Amino acid sequence: MDERGRVQTRLHEGRHEVIGAWGRTTRPVGASFHEIGGCVRKAFLATIMLLTVACATYTSRMELSRDLYYGGRYGDALANLDKLVKDAAERDYYLFLLERGKVSLAAGAYDSAIVDLQKAERRFLEIEATVSVADLFKNMLVNPSMGEYQPEPHEKIMISSYLLLAYWLKGDREGAFVERNRLVERLKQYTGQLSDQDRAALDVPFAHYLAAVLYEIEGREDDARIEYDVLEKIAPDVVPSPLDAKLDELIVFTEVGRAPVKVSTEIRGYLQKDGASLVGFFNLPGSAGPQMFMLPGFGDLRIDKPGVLFTFAFPQCVRERRVVERCKLVVDGVEAGEMKPLDNLENTAYAAYEKGLPLTLLKAAFRTYLKTVVQTKLGDTDDAKGIAFDVLGKVLASVDRADTRSWQTLPSEIRVFRMECGPGERKVSVRYLDAKGNVVGMSGSVHVSSGRGTKTIVFLI
Amino acid sequence: MKKMLLPVLCLLFLAACAGTTKEIDLSTDTAENADFSSADLARITDGMMSSIQANGFFQQYLAEHAGQKPVMLLAKELKNDTDEHIKTRLILEKIRTRMINEGTAQFVDDQAFDTALEQLNLQASDLYDNAKAAKIGKFVGAKYVLRGTISNIRKRSGREDINYMNVTMDIFEVETLLIKWTNEVEFKRVSTKGAMR
Repeated sequence: MDERGRVQTRLHEGRHEVIGAWGRTTRPVGASFHEIGGCVRKAFLATIMLLTVACATYTSRMELSRDLYYGGRYGDALANLDKLVKDAAERDYYLFLLERGKVSLAAGAYDSAIVDLQKAERRFLEIEATVSVADLFKNMLVNPSMGEYQPEPHEKIMISSYLLLAYWLKGDREGAFVERNRLVERLKQYTGQLSDQDRAALDVPFAHYLAAVLYEIEGREDDARIEYDVLEKIAPDVVPSPLDAKLDELIVFTEVGRAPVKVSTEIRGYLQKDGASLVGFFNLPGSAGPQMFMLPGFGDLRIDKPGVLFTFAFPQCVRERRVVERCKLVVDGVEAGEMKPLDNLENTAYAAYEKGLPLTLLKAAFRTYLKTVVQTKLGDTDDAKGIAFDVLGKVLASVDRADTRSWQTLPSEIRVFRMECGPGERKVSVRYLDAKGNVVGMSGSVHVSSGRGTKTIVFLI
Repeated sequence: MKKMLLPVLCLLFLAACAGTTKEIDLSTDTAENADFSSADLARITDGMMSSIQANGFFQQYLAEHAGQKPVMLLAKELKNDTDEHIKTRLILEKIRTRMINEGTAQFVDDQAFDTALEQLNLQASDLYDNAKAAKIGKFVGAKYVLRGTISNIRKRSGREDINYMNVTMDIFEVETLLIKWTNEVEFKRVSTKGAMR
């Protein structure tokens, strides 16, 4: 988070530096009208750039809720998310519902979790594989976060996984079985066609495991075996052997760490023709100040008057620092054993980001080109129309930023512990340890009552 | 006249934008997408009822029991093995309604037990006229149970959603576990979303 904060600060500084660079324009504007126009444009541009600095990205808007959630303050996180959901633009509304649904699940408010997650899931299915022309224009002209959010496949699979858990934990077996069926269908849809290599990176072992356990509970061992066979390839350590659907078992899942978040990385700059050369200033993320360049031999390039403002913005996936490295299950005050890593969602999110990166960069380059063209081609006349296009192009360039949206209350990792146990009442909790084995936290404890011939599922955060 | 034109146009525009409510004729109801819909409910009920009527079991029972209809019970719910949250009880209740109204069978109310017991206990107390109170020990046990399963196989790919749905129902005899009647209704639908939204 600190690392992210520093990046953003540097970017903010960068924007100010670009404004400074704007003031170093060397080409005088001839007519008085244009001088006035130029002054107005400079002031307008400076205002816009300051405004864009103040504009919050999804990641920054979620920061407080995220911190409250990971700090275990579910009530406060929900109160904050209620506000975010209420004020959300339609394009982000369903993503905020996902965040709130996840926090509700952690807080034990299963009905609320189901309502939010189902509403979001329904919408995401509606818009899947469809295109909105309005969104397309907004994405290209303003920035890609102006379109409606479409989740990554692993996020869609996680919606069904959490819905299954919510139904199961609230005691609705039939509902949980229906969600299990939906989950299996999602897995088939989103991961069924993947190559073995892609599957290892993009599949969601947690979902397969949950589906398998629910099949076992329903007495459908063959179906459970199919899911465990998939798991054998991607997470072999967690596959129970031999499979015994009638065995009394306690199955505990816990979540560790934070999902990676995306930050907007922006290369902003300013170009101007100076005689036969091209002069420019640009700000690279991480550099101390604006970089200046001068390229001779660009005399034919039509960049006149106040020059061209450009922005090349793309998302960066930032892994969160994780303190917890090991988890131990505690049953009735006695350490039962170490929980096994089941699903590294951080790696899955990162793999999904990397898979989509070439297309994201291509779109970013096209946006940069489009906004430059508005300033150089449409805005190269000296009349009011030319000035209007010039200003418009600069405004559009200054509001460009990457789409930083993602489901941010997902964990970095999910772990599982499975043990045989007879019927009876138990108090279950998880002890979190750092790499050196120091205890850094405890989950809340839950009382579970298991009967004969059952599998008791516990979800602890 | 020209002054009036703009307000009139505005009013017409607003009227066109206003929400509407219209009643849908259930007999011509159609599915909106590949998911289970109210139209399917009618199709399943009709399919099951025509099969029940065509089946000789009920006629034979009437003949063998001097016109007395068989006493039946609904299973708690139709087993839902689909990927949709469907109120499956509705399917069972719809068939029960048709069977009672068409004089095919009598049904024991599986959900009235607690209420009936409470009433019987109350009426047996001194609060009630014992001579007119409902008598204990008159509950009728069901001889047959109506039950079933609804399952689906779905394939979703891009904008296409293909859904095969199957409803299988049967009536079994409590004493012998023999299935006296069974039938299935199945259908398959493809729904394709528009590329634009």
